[in-house]
Amino acid sequence: MSSDAAIRTGAIPERLLEPPLTEGVVTPGSLDDQVLAFPDLRPPKQWYIGLAITLTALVIGFSFIGYTIATGIGVWGNNSPVFWAFDIINFVFWVGIGHAGTLISAILFLFRKRWRNAIARFAEAMTIFAVMCAGIFPLIHVGRPWLAFWLFPYPNQRGVWTNFRSPLLWDVFAVSTYFSVSLMFWFLGLVPDIASMRDRTTSKVRKTIYTVLSLGWRGAASHWQHYEKAYLLLAGLATGLVLSVHSVVSFDFATSVVPGWHMTIFPPYFVAGAIFAGFSMVVIVLVVVRETMQLKNLITMRHLDVMNKVILGMSCLMGYSYMMEGFTAWYSMNEYLHHTFMNIISGTYGWAGWLTISCNIFIPQLLWFKKCRTSYFWMIFVALAVTVGMWFERFVIIVISLHQDYLPSAWRIYKPTMVDFGVLLGSFGLFFTLVLLFARVLPVIATTEVKAILPGAQPSHHGDDHE
Amino acid sequence: MKTQIPPSPEPPVEIPRYWRTLGEREETPEARKAAHDEFLPGAVDVADLPAPSEFSRRGFLGLMGGAAALAATVACDRKGQGTIVPYTRRPVEVIPGVANYYASARQEGRRAYSVLVKTREGRPIHITGNDEHPGFKGKTSPRTIADIMGLYDADRLRAPKAEGRPLAWAEADSRMTAALAGAKAAGKPVLLITGAVASPSRKALFADLKAALPTLEHLAWEPVRGDGAAEGARAVFGTDVEVAPRLEKAKVVLSLGADFLSGEDPEALAAFGAKRRLSEPGQATNRLWVLEGPLSITGSNADQRFPVRPSRIAAVAFALAKALQSRGLGLPAGADLSAVPAGVPQGVDIPAEAWKNLVNDLASARREALVLCGAEMSAEAHQAAHLLNAMLGSQALELRAAEPLATVKDLDAAMQGMAAGRYAAVLLWDVNPAYAFPRAQAWKDALAKVPFRAWMGLAEDETAAQCQLLLPVNHWLESWNDFGSGELFILQQPAIGALYDTRQGEDVLLAALKGLGAAVPADYHAYLKARWQKEVYPAGSPVAFERYFEVALHDGLVKDGKAAPAPVFKGATLAAAAKQALAAQGGDLELVLVPGFATHDGRYANNGWLMETPDPVTKMTWDNPLLLSVADARRLKLNDGDLATLTVDGTTLRVPVVLQPGQAKGVVTLALGYGRTTGEMAAGKGVNAFPLMALDPAAPNLRSGVQVAAAGGSKPLSRTQAHHRLDGREIVQSWSLAEYAQEARDRKKGPELVTLYPDQEFPQHKWGMVIDLAACVGCSGCMVGCQSENNVAVVGPEQVTRGREMHWIRLDSYYEGDVDNPKVVHQPMLCQHCDDAPCENVCPVNATNHSPEGLNQMVYNRCVGTRYCANNCPYKVRRFNFLEYTADKVEPESLIYNPEVTVRPRGVMEKCTFCVQRIEDGKIRAKGEDRPLQDGEITPACAVSCPSDAIVFGDLKDPNSKVSQLVKANRSFKVLEELGVKPAITYLADLKNPAIEGGQHEL
Repeated sequence: MSSDAAIRTGAIPERLLEPPLTEGVVTPGSLDDQVLAFPDLRPPKQWYIGLAITLTALVIGFSFIGYTIATGIGVWGNNSPVFWAFDIINFVFWVGIGHAGTLISAILFLFRKRWRNAIARFAEAMTIFAVMCAGIFPLIHVGRPWLAFWLFPYPNQRGVWTNFRSPLLWDVFAVSTYFSVSLMFWFLGLVPDIASMRDRTTSKVRKTIYTVLSLGWRGAASHWQHYEKAYLLLAGLATGLVLSVHSVVSFDFATSVVPGWHMTIFPPYFVAGAIFAGFSMVVIVLVVVRETMQLKNLITMRHLDVMNKVILGMSCLMGYSYMMEGFTAWYSMNEYLHHTFMNIISGTYGWAGWLTISCNIFIPQLLWFKKCRTSYFWMIFVALAVTVGMWFERFVIIVISLHQDYLPSAWRIYKPTMVDFGVLLGSFGLFFTLVLLFARVLPVIATTEVKAILPGAQPSHHGDDHE
Repeated sequence: MKTQIPPSPEPPVEIPRYWRTLGEREETPEARKAAHDEFLPGAVDVADLPAPSEFSRRGFLGLMGGAAALAATVACDRKGQGTIVPYTRRPVEVIPGVANYYASARQEGRRAYSVLVKTREGRPIHITGNDEHPGFKGKTSPRTIADIMGLYDADRLRAPKAEGRPLAWAEADSRMTAALAGAKAAGKPVLLITGAVASPSRKALFADLKAALPTLEHLAWEPVRGDGAAEGARAVFGTDVEVAPRLEKAKVVLSLGADFLSGEDPEALAAFGAKRRLSEPGQATNRLWVLEGPLSITGSNADQRFPVRPSRIAAVAFALAKALQSRGLGLPAGADLSAVPAGVPQGVDIPAEAWKNLVNDLASARREALVLCGAEMSAEAHQAAHLLNAMLGSQALELRAAEPLATVKDLDAAMQGMAAGRYAAVLLWDVNPAYAFPRAQAWKDALAKVPFRAWMGLAEDETAAQCQLLLPVNHWLESWNDFGSGELFILQQPAIGALYDTRQGEDVLLAALKGLGAAVPADYHAYLKARWQKEVYPAGSPVAFERYFEVALHDGLVKDGKAAPAPVFKGATLAAAAKQALAAQGGDLELVLVPGFATHDGRYANNGWLMETPDPVTKMTWDNPLLLSVADARRLKLNDGDLATLTVDGTTLRVPVVLQPGQAKGVVTLALGYGRTTGEMAAGKGVNAFPLMALDPAAPNLRSGVQVAAAGGSKPLSRTQAHHRLDGREIVQSWSLAEYAQEARDRKKGPELVTLYPDQEFPQHKWGMVIDLAACVGCSGCMVGCQSENNVAVVGPEQVTRGREMHWIRLDSYYEGDVDNPKVVHQPMLCQHCDDAPCENVCPVNATNHSPEGLNQMVYNRCVGTRYCANNCPYKVRRFNFLEYTADKVEPESLIYNPEVTVRPRGVMEKCTFCVQRIEDGKIRAKGEDRPLQDGEITPACAVSCPSDAIVFGDLKDPNSKVSQLVKANRSFKVLEELGVKPAITYLADLKNPAIEGGQHEL
């Protein structure tokens, strides 16, 4: 029997059929009840505990930021030659985390990967929050933060224009574009859901807010038509950004003369790393959300399985990149580059180098096993390892490359201070506080999109073809 | 001092009123109205429009203008705004914005430095050497440049004080007079302790005082000048001598632990540098042999260096004398070396071949050879060194009889006298025995038994705490004096009036003399002039004395003094000394106490510039670690920064350890002058090593049988460079003469570097610099000069430990070869002003950019502090204000700032500007005089402060400029040229001239 015939007769082997993306009986109505009801319920005790923890971290972090702004960058461990350290590590780390959301919501949307629908909303929200966390660092890391607005090119009476040759300026454009497009994309997707919530809620205050936010959405066919078009356009726009933003961030390093930074592999390597770290963060948060918000039927083990496969793929790409770094160091016969690479695997910070390699390359290999891909313990273990590993990867790139560059006379060891750790803690506090608040006030799952992939929601001829 | 606004003496002047018409004169109402209306009758506000009831157009515009002006004024208010007041009566010679230079002089130990003091609006702000001085030629020592900070030291005592309360000078004088008169009447001795006496006028004053007060006993004491040198000189010359090397006449120089290139002696550095600046391989140069225990600056510049324990130096010197004797050099009369065995003495690790070469070098150079012995070495070593010079008949040496200095033994005797109640009064002037005398506690106890104790000094120190009457004296920049060095008299004149209610020390003594009934001039200025008129002013001169003195003050010196006869060498004591030298052993570990590079004997410990200038060898700031050889450290299981206990003769100190390559095995070194307990900057920095000094005047700085043990724990080192290995990187070039010959012949040019960008264009000038590593010895004078010129902030030990020192120019040193005796190269590193500067294209706000004259400019106002430029600088010469290092500086400390250079706030990047203010000054000057700029007219502070003239600055566009010529030299190279950044600084390769195997001697 030819495959065409098989399709025609409907006799597709079981294993080739795409399994349903939801578990159990999910109807549009039950979905609304399940997802859109959250904001109207009293939050559970765990939520308050979680919020208390994240808010504490947030307050600690922001007090340290205040202290830094009041006193100067000197309260951090940065020195000469390590002029950048936690500040830029954290920036690159958080921008990277954001990439998973855009990839899931935009690229997978364009590729018609229907499994993305259930997790896209959350991932996108994480993008927004991660970019917010990232955005803090360029602002506070400058010596005179009150003048940071000079980085924006706008007509001014000082008669001085920004320097368009500087990758930092490219960063300004890349990150601000990324944030605004992601925000629009996310908000656009939210509009129909907010409208549903507006119609459901009984609280007057909420109703007012949701009314404003839903922009008069009535679910008319013309609304849907415009909505779908705008969504498609924004998805296309965001797709380019997934690739460009971290490439531009990598230019900060790749276009410099610092050995260990000056490498052509950086843009793809950074994009892969960003998706890698982002997916791991999404897995961690999804597992928590799935368990605490009783969404097991919508965010199924299959979702996590697919996510883990992406992580595994990216881990292999990272392994390739690391090996290429070593190869370049050897093949270029550049003694400075060679020295920097040797520092990664055997210098003062050799431990950080090996931690990075272990967390990003060795540990994710566990995901070759289906058992690990579908086990909470193992997937969380891997995802945490990747999060730590990817943070340290930036540590390796920034601190190890800087601490010993060209002239041995200028070499120095870098030691972070308590304030460095405090600010890092604060960024996590901000991120998870925003995640928790989001989970309370907005639909964590795009109900309209999931409704489209419920069994029977797709146009079908029930086995018959068009003939 | 702040400019005071003079009170206005006259009442306000009535302004004369003029009138145009009689009506106005009589003030009729019509006339008043006509005068009020600006426009003539017939002119209306706006053509025919009815005037609005209240607001006319003019009124509106007036109000608007007023409001705008008000808004602008309010908006323009800046933080830290102060009142500036112009001179109402401008002082003669002072033009605001134009610097005045005054010749003056400064004394340190026996040495007097002739200097030029740059003043701006009456404030001394920068010091350079006096270019009229035949020896200094415009150069001076790092400590001299930095000593301007002593003037503005916030810790200075500002008025006389007794029992903790301020006092009027009249009362202080009467107390002093009463005490001295009492002592005189009772016939009890009065003890006066001062620093070295280098001034003939001061000496005359002491003689006058002695005449008026016969019981006066005077000790001139310099705690780190080396009692061994004094004892040795007294043994062979019968008098104290001052040894002045004349390196320009030397082909072979042997240093026996003598650190004569440390920067303290700019004449030696200039002569040394001149001999090393070769343009062709065959040119005449010199060879420097160094035998020493610790690695000194001199040792780091040696052509041949051998680590020798200081206890064996004397034996080595006698063995050399013996060897020279066998080569036919005659022994001076009375000298007997029969007890000295031939060959390298026992326990000294010099290979036979090298020994042969050394003896050969000395024997063949003869009169052109010179032996110098370190101040810390023993009296026997000094005797032997004097013997060697006498045998060689060295012409590269000037020996001058000098005023005697008190040794530790003399101080000890004085202390016992005090304890026994011998003295009625003690006057301590610019000395700090409570800190620097080895038995400080015993000293304090003894001093307490003296009924009258007066202290004279700049800032209250450990000794001041023991005294009843504290008399603050003028800084040398506020003082008059003269110094005699051989055929030259140097004059010291105040460059500023006394900042506080202080007096010159000599004036205090003059007041005492007056109190004792002597007829003396009103002040020391008059005393000095009277003495000069009598003694120095040539009789029968056609020039009037006033004019003569004025010219001398202007020049800072008078050349027609009389040369003193050289002391005569006597060899009688040598046999005994040789015996003692041969027997001397240092034990398992021996300790050398050396003067601190920054602190000297502790008197500069409160000087932030000096404390933060890294020691040229160890690169330590603010601290005096114990230096150990690498082998000893391994044996004792100690590492850099580990704390160790150092025990000498029952005295134990806890010190951090630094492993110093090149340090002789079995030798540990500790710098003196640290561990002060007074002074805001000085207190608690390092440990006081004076208690470890021996009371034996033959070698108080050398201690044998020292114990070092790990104390557990460690201390973060405030060190500016910890990596000295090059790892095969071609950052510096250092060649032997043979290699130079080869390189000059067939040096390969690197591949041409291509760039995508168009070349920068420099229409008028292109500033560049050449640094000759062969002439640079690493003295760090450039660092201090730059710090003073460019208002470079002092950040303190904690910030240095974190790697945040702010120096715009630094001295990198690299070691090569054997860890026990490495070859050392010093390399000044500053902004390279790259044509394709990697820092410039990465700045997002254009705060750093290229000038049309090739300067890499830093615009502080524009900088937001992303620090990207510093990351991308391959030379790491950019400095970031991580914290607010300057805003808390108030008067008097802020008075030291050069008003031509912006003081940088926190969050801003800074770096070397090639002294752009001096470039602009030179250009303006040339333009004003309508002439082209001359080569050498513009010199940055580092070049001016470089005693060995290793730094040359100029215009690369001018093919005839010195710098253009040197760039083409066969020793030139650029650092990290392969990066294609096109640095504007060219280095010339370091040269070493080691003895060649087989007895050839290219000298």
